[in-house]
Amino acid sequence: MRTLKKSWVGIVAILVSIPVFLVPFAFIILTAMKGKLDAADLGFTWPKKIELWDNIVGVVQARDGQALVAFINSTVLTVASVTLLVILASMVAFVLQRRPSRWNGLINFLVLSGLIIPPAVVPTITVLQGLQLFGTLPGLILIEVAFGMSFCVLLFRAFLATIPREVDEAAIIDGAGTLRLFFQVIFPLLRSVVITVIVVQSVVIFNDFTNPLYFLPGDANATVQLTLFNFQSEFNTSWNLLFTDILLITIPPLVMFLFFNRQIVAGLASGSVKG
Amino acid sequence: MLSLKTKRSILAVAAGVSAVALALTGCSSGGGTGTGASATSKQTISFLIDNSDANVKLAKGLIADYAKIAPKVTVKLETRPAGSDGDNLIKTRLSTGTMNDVFFYNSGSLFQALAPEKNLVDLTNQPFVANTDPGFKTVVTSNNKVYGAPAGTAMGGAILYNKKVYADLGLTVPKTWDDFIANSQKIKAAGKIPIIQTYKDTWTSQLFVLGDFANVTAAEPNWAKDYTANKAKYATDPIAAAGFNHLEQVHSLGLLNKDFGSATFDQGLKMLATGQGVQYPMLTFAVSTIIANYPDNAKDIGVFAIPGTDASKNILTTWEPAAVYIPKTTKHLAAAEGFVNFIASTKGCDSQTKSSGITGPYLVKGCDLPADVPTYVADMLPYFQAAGGTSPALEFVSPIKGPSLEQITVAVGSGITPAAKGAAQYDNDVKKQAQQLGISGW
Repeated sequence: MRTLKKSWVGIVAILVSIPVFLVPFAFIILTAMKGKLDAADLGFTWPKKIELWDNIVGVVQARDGQALVAFINSTVLTVASVTLLVILASMVAFVLQRRPSRWNGLINFLVLSGLIIPPAVVPTITVLQGLQLFGTLPGLILIEVAFGMSFCVLLFRAFLATIPREVDEAAIIDGAGTLRLFFQVIFPLLRSVVITVIVVQSVVIFNDFTNPLYFLPGDANATVQLTLFNFQSEFNTSWNLLFTDILLITIPPLVMFLFFNRQIVAGLASGSVKG
Repeated sequence: MLSLKTKRSILAVAAGVSAVALALTGCSSGGGTGTGASATSKQTISFLIDNSDANVKLAKGLIADYAKIAPKVTVKLETRPAGSDGDNLIKTRLSTGTMNDVFFYNSGSLFQALAPEKNLVDLTNQPFVANTDPGFKTVVTSNNKVYGAPAGTAMGGAILYNKKVYADLGLTVPKTWDDFIANSQKIKAAGKIPIIQTYKDTWTSQLFVLGDFANVTAAEPNWAKDYTANKAKYATDPIAAAGFNHLEQVHSLGLLNKDFGSATFDQGLKMLATGQGVQYPMLTFAVSTIIANYPDNAKDIGVFAIPGTDASKNILTTWEPAAVYIPKTTKHLAAAEGFVNFIASTKGCDSQTKSSGITGPYLVKGCDLPADVPTYVADMLPYFQAAGGTSPALEFVSPIKGPSLEQITVAVGSGITPAAKGAAQYDNDVKKQAQQLGISGW
């Protein structure tokens, strides 16, 4: 009886989620298959003629193959930023969690301000110009790392609180140095949070529009989100190409989500046990 | 002996100091990298334009043709988003000194918002200035200095109409607003949509107000000046308020398409091209989209100015073309000036015609249009050829344009806000903008 009741709840939840998640996705796919005029009606209808392949070719060829360059740029940006974020944020969180000191209050305050205070564009560009990093991919990577740092430090810290101190002590007694203690003993224990951070931050950075727009000028530096604007302008939009581009861009995060779905929930939940 | 704790804090302070030092050395090394390229060697300049299809095509054509004239200069194209993202991008680049060598941007009130004296190179003494239409010069001038060269063609804010339906129903182009309403009633009786409105794309709702401005100027030549000086108001001047009243009237008479609230610009063009809808108040550039999407129907699309009360004064409200500007931070000033002069020359017009077809009259002396022009351009030309047949839109003669006009016109056009109240709301909206710009009298 009880399992029956439970499955009913599940079915209702699925039914509710269909219009929210699947209908928009179906709309993207349908529009991506249409021709230009057919798509301009923005109707939820079966395409008159399926032109998905033509649209994909159109998207890839637009602006001399900018889409391909953009995919490479976005991949480099996402992978590098997320790797740096995971390593740096977990190290910061480990030190903050394990070594209470007078500075902790200030550092916690700075971490929280990173979440609260919105970043300003013009001063950031001035700093980047001073560092000779403006308009380069490494510059943007550092920006994404800086903006994502607070959120990741908080996640890691919350999870580290659940790992008993005895683990560290045992490792130290066995002769592990600081680096070895962290990378070989603690870091593997953080697996579920690391996966959460990877997934959440990858999606955020991959989907970022404003930071690449302002901090990485130049057509050769475009990221995938910026290519959307090739097909959408103030007065005239090629809906079919726009939605094809959206479809292509949606695939990588979607694949990632399908693979890591379980771990995300587990990671978020395990971090929330102790604050 | 230091305790472990003090040791740790010394370490932390040392780390902090070295981090700051690192940042500072980074700063100081950023100084002397400016490279002065000599004028004779090969140079590359970059050109920023918005990403609309038509403009990218235009820019590509210009760059290809300029390469033939000036083989030593390579122009690299870069695109930017349109709309408010684009505005922010332009302002950010200007204020951080990272603007491209030449950039394409609106003239008129948006140009004034760029702080031209601070950011742009004064082009007053360039050769193109002498050949440029005086009306255009006023919209790229700040404190008697010219900062921009025209790129593209002038357009009208008018009623686009389907000539075929007009001919079938035996209608003639209306000279007064009452004629226009009478025509619309006949179209409605014939079972077609008399007036198309597409409020999903809110900007399309403003044409009855903005496109009526030629009629305001015709009746009160000093209106724009008084308006800028806070002496004239939409709400208190019945002639200026006519635009809002028209918008209310066409809704209350039921002359609109049924889905006016949710229809998009693209759908509006489709209705007009297929003859399902007959009249669409719009900027004339829209016809180039019809030519691209519905080539068979394009010859049926005509243009007439939004009619006022006086049949003898039939004046088209015009929008000046955008301009190209050079930022003060450019390192290739001579090359950039050469490119700008080319764009605003007869060769530049030819190049533009070649890449994007004829979209309206050019504002450069000597750029005549061929006899064979699209129907809608042919309809526009008489206004441009007649003395006083055109008059610029308000945003080109006054720096003040309130940001919320499109929301207000949607509300008035949907019958939510009465016309008088809408006009008053817009006067209020404009007030904030004028105060921000620091105009005296507000």
